[in-house]
Amino acid sequence: MIPEPQTRISERALTVWRISGGIHSLIIWFIGAGLLALAVLFDWPLWITLGVIALCVVYAYLFVLVFPGLRWKRWRYELREQEIELQRGVFIIKRTLVPMVRVQHVDTQQGPLLRKYGLSTVTISTAATVHEIPALDVEEAEELRVSISRLARVADDDV
Amino acid sequence: MSEPKRLHPIAALVNTLKQLKELIIPFVVFVVFGSRGNGWDLVYLIGSVSVLVLVLVFGILSWVRFTYRIEHGELRIEYGIFIRKKRYIPFERIQSLDVSQGILQRPFGLVKVKVETAGSGAMGMEDSEAVLTAITKEEASQIQKVLVSIKKRERQNENGMENEAQPSEGTHVYKISQGELILLASTSGGVGVVLSAVIAFILQFEEFIPYERVFQGFEEFAANGVIFISFVMFCGFLLAWLISFAGTMVKYAGFSVVKADHDLVITRGLLEKRQFTIPLNRIQAVRISENPIRQLFGLASAFVESAGGSSANEESSKVLILPIAKKRKIAELLEPCLKDYQFEPYFKAAPPRAFRRYLLKGLIITVPIVLATSLFFRPWGFLSLLLLAFSALWSWLEFKDAGWSLDSGILTLRYRSLVKSTVFMKKTKVQSMSIKQSPFQRQAQLATIQAMVKSGHSGSGGKVVDLEEEDVESIYKWYSHEAGNEAWENQARPLQ
Repeated sequence: MIPEPQTRISERALTVWRISGGIHSLIIWFIGAGLLALAVLFDWPLWITLGVIALCVVYAYLFVLVFPGLRWKRWRYELREQEIELQRGVFIIKRTLVPMVRVQHVDTQQGPLLRKYGLSTVTISTAATVHEIPALDVEEAEELRVSISRLARVADDDV
Repeated sequence: MSEPKRLHPIAALVNTLKQLKELIIPFVVFVVFGSRGNGWDLVYLIGSVSVLVLVLVFGILSWVRFTYRIEHGELRIEYGIFIRKKRYIPFERIQSLDVSQGILQRPFGLVKVKVETAGSGAMGMEDSEAVLTAITKEEASQIQKVLVSIKKRERQNENGMENEAQPSEGTHVYKISQGELILLASTSGGVGVVLSAVIAFILQFEEFIPYERVFQGFEEFAANGVIFISFVMFCGFLLAWLISFAGTMVKYAGFSVVKADHDLVITRGLLEKRQFTIPLNRIQAVRISENPIRQLFGLASAFVESAGGSSANEESSKVLILPIAKKRKIAELLEPCLKDYQFEPYFKAAPPRAFRRYLLKGLIITVPIVLATSLFFRPWGFLSLLLLAFSALWSWLEFKDAGWSLDSGILTLRYRSLVKSTVFMKKTKVQSMSIKQSPFQRQAQLATIQAMVKSGHSGSGGKVVDLEEEDVESIYKWYSHEAGNEAWENQARPLQ
């Protein structure tokens, strides 16, 4: 088996994911509430009501409690001199290898939620693909961005 | 050739027509919704005419303002009516010149030259190209000459004093024959036709069987409806096929590929002659496609994925270099011009235990459909059971076509979605590589591999599902720049 990448992302990612999962669930609940109101108004059969409630509860349970944990456990990355390796996924595990010579540019970005928790996301672009490492500590992200762009410049090769 | 030059006046007309083409929808809306009251008609007429005149005046003005010249190794273009713009393109940055000849250019012996640079559309520059709408052939070839000489000087600087090969006239790689052209045109996108023909054929037989007497209760309407609808569908498909047939004939007439120095030059077109130049070192991957119908006849087509080109122009990123050829002959045809590639590698297939997963994946989609149709459309719905057989056959094809190879340092991935694709990629051209594994795959020790290459401004590549886990890892390791390093190996420990 190929060794797993070693570096984990910030533990605060868990909180951020739970919150954003919560926000999504709220939206789903609003839709669900609307459906329930319709069900009461138009006398829809009971199983629709129950189904909607069950769906809302399961969605919130999965996206607030279950998935963030699984995702965080899986999320790893590793910066090596000549390549970056990423690993992510909830059930399906995906690992990606990006050689330094292929890196075109590196960005960091931060939404309001990430900023509140002092996190930021690093985006690595090649000529064909874009890869994201979410929710790193701001300083770590900055460091990573600088070192990737330094390593990418050293690695010289034809495109 | 350093004094500023104008395009041929016909360019003004071409630009005007292009503008009008863009205006046609608002114009139609304007006319349709506008002409209600009688009193307004004159206003609308004047309005329309003045728009026409305005567009024409703008077309002429922009032609007057547009000049180009070659100066200090740059192609310098100045244009703009109100805001004067200058675009200086160093010849070193020019990736290719696409020469084409439209209907308007042809009578005057003019050509349209599109200058493509490597600038990426994502970085804020809207268009990474310049277009000389109508210039004489001589001028076009002069620009071409300057480009070639500057490129060559650049290359010589890079290679030191290495002897350059003589600029040869180029060797013919491929020229389409009349028969091949017809074959190409008739098999392009013909799946639907064949399918509907088959359905109509089956229904013909149904007419001979007196099923109305057999199933007394079955609504006559439904039966007639089915026949009628399938007839209409067949006609629709036939029409679509005829259109695509004619379109392909016109588009690919006189298709030829020439290898000149370090470029592949592709010429094609009956009404509009187009020429593409693909620098060999910009080729990112080679793709061989076999659509199901062509595959039956042992035919295939080949594409090259090329970097650069404008984002708007799909064709410049995925270029057809062999429209149609016997699959056995492809290697023979392509290997002389694409020397680093090995087109007949030894393929390693997916392991037999992967077939179950391919089968399941097909059935997950088809079984619910079959169940639903069998339940709701009683007698006829059972026909959908055929779908199961079809799905199984398809899964078997997908399974059989999954394969990979690392022969002679070229990664080759072979897979099928609808069309069977074989993608040949050099390690240095692969932008990133991923492996994927679901819990079920892990249990069966299978994994999915995906390699991405640059194509135009976005990505393209290949993906093979459910290969042997070890094989996938060996490809991943081959791609890794550090897999052989000590540190990498020392870390090696079981995942769980």
